[in-house]
Amino acid sequence: MLASILVLAAEASTTAAELLDQAAGDAEAVKNPILPTVNEMLYAAIFFIALWTLMKFVLLPRITSVMDGRTDKIRDDLAAAEAAETERVAKLAQYEAGLAGARAEAVSIIEATRAEGDAERRTQITAAEAEVAAARAEAAAEIADAKARARSELTGSITDIAVGAAEAVIQMPLDRAAQGRIVEDYVNSSGKN
Amino acid sequence: MIFGLEFPPIENLVEWPNIFGPADSWYGFNKIALINLIALVGTTVLFLVAGRKKTLEPATNAPKGSRNLVESAVAFIRDGIIIETIGPAGLRYLPFLASLFFFILITNIFEVIPFFHMPGNARMAGPAVLALLTWAYFIAVGIKHQGLKYFWNSVAPPGVPKALLPLVVPIELLSTFIVRPFSLAVRLFANMLAGHILLVTFSVLCITLWGASLLLVVLPFSFVMLVGLTGFEIMVAFLQAYIFTILASVYIGSSMHAEH
Repeated sequence: MLASILVLAAEASTTAAELLDQAAGDAEAVKNPILPTVNEMLYAAIFFIALWTLMKFVLLPRITSVMDGRTDKIRDDLAAAEAAETERVAKLAQYEAGLAGARAEAVSIIEATRAEGDAERRTQITAAEAEVAAARAEAAAEIADAKARARSELTGSITDIAVGAAEAVIQMPLDRAAQGRIVEDYVNSSGKN
Repeated sequence: MIFGLEFPPIENLVEWPNIFGPADSWYGFNKIALINLIALVGTTVLFLVAGRKKTLEPATNAPKGSRNLVESAVAFIRDGIIIETIGPAGLRYLPFLASLFFFILITNIFEVIPFFHMPGNARMAGPAVLALLTWAYFIAVGIKHQGLKYFWNSVAPPGVPKALLPLVVPIELLSTFIVRPFSLAVRLFANMLAGHILLVTFSVLCITLWGASLLLVVLPFSFVMLVGLTGFEIMVAFLQAYIFTILASVYIGSSMHAEH
């Protein structure tokens, strides 16, 4: 009885061992396609580290040096442009200040000239007015003289005509001096009317 | 067989036989290794062509051609990633971050390149290596800037009340030193694998519909989807390179100062 049990146990253990071996074999045969493999990791590591090394010492410096140079140039150009702009603004301010000064000077010159012109004009007008007044006075005197002379001549003529006419009417001579005074009085009194 | 389509098993989509070296050997060189090699050589050639003396002169002129492309990319990494996340002090990490960006971008873009049609990062090995290197890098930067106090500052940020430390320290320890590299790797890998499977699905659909007389009318729609997804995957390739690089930059920046 014991012997048969031992035989059964031995057979069972043999079967279990066979099953375990088979399971292990199956596991080996069915590889997980998701898990990384050593050879692929090895080459990935080698090629990436090679690229990193090349990138650090050979590849990137050639690119970044030019990029940095261009960046520096752009920065310098921008600084120069900014300086030029500052200079332009300063010159513009200077020009505007000069322009304002010139404009003020021009205005002052215009004002001075205008004042001078006004004074000159006033002087000229005064002189002209004085001249005109003198001429007018002279003309008035001349007119008065002419008037007096004309009156005198007129009075004499009228006296001659009137006395002559009267002598012709009355057929006798008249006192020319007395008749002359009467005519003169008449002329003087009629001139007043 | 799914809905009458003969869909290849996942192993056939992502596992490639060795070009040289015995199968399952630790030095077997397969298609993924070739893509990684092309990423190295392609980036190097692109930079060397862009940096030729002919294109360097005159340096004051606006860049053209390959030089314009490389300068734009470098300026994008420098100004759009490093300055934004670290500041001017982070410019010294430009070589590492630029290498990350270009390496990931080029290995990703092989998803849509004829005769390859396999993104290098749809295998976990590449993302895992890059994530581990980034992890080691930001820890090294932390030690350089803060000394060994970096580890304590990382798990117990200054200003946190002492009563909260038993709660904060395990969370920060987990998030900073375990979740960060894991999430970096898985995000990149999962996105690229998903895109790869999508493109394979629509390609298989197009091929199957080409032979099916009744369903041939559906072919144009499937083809349009395939073309659209190809364009979308180009964007994803760029986006994943950008995300990985900017997160690496954020982690490096956070290692530089204790207050982060």
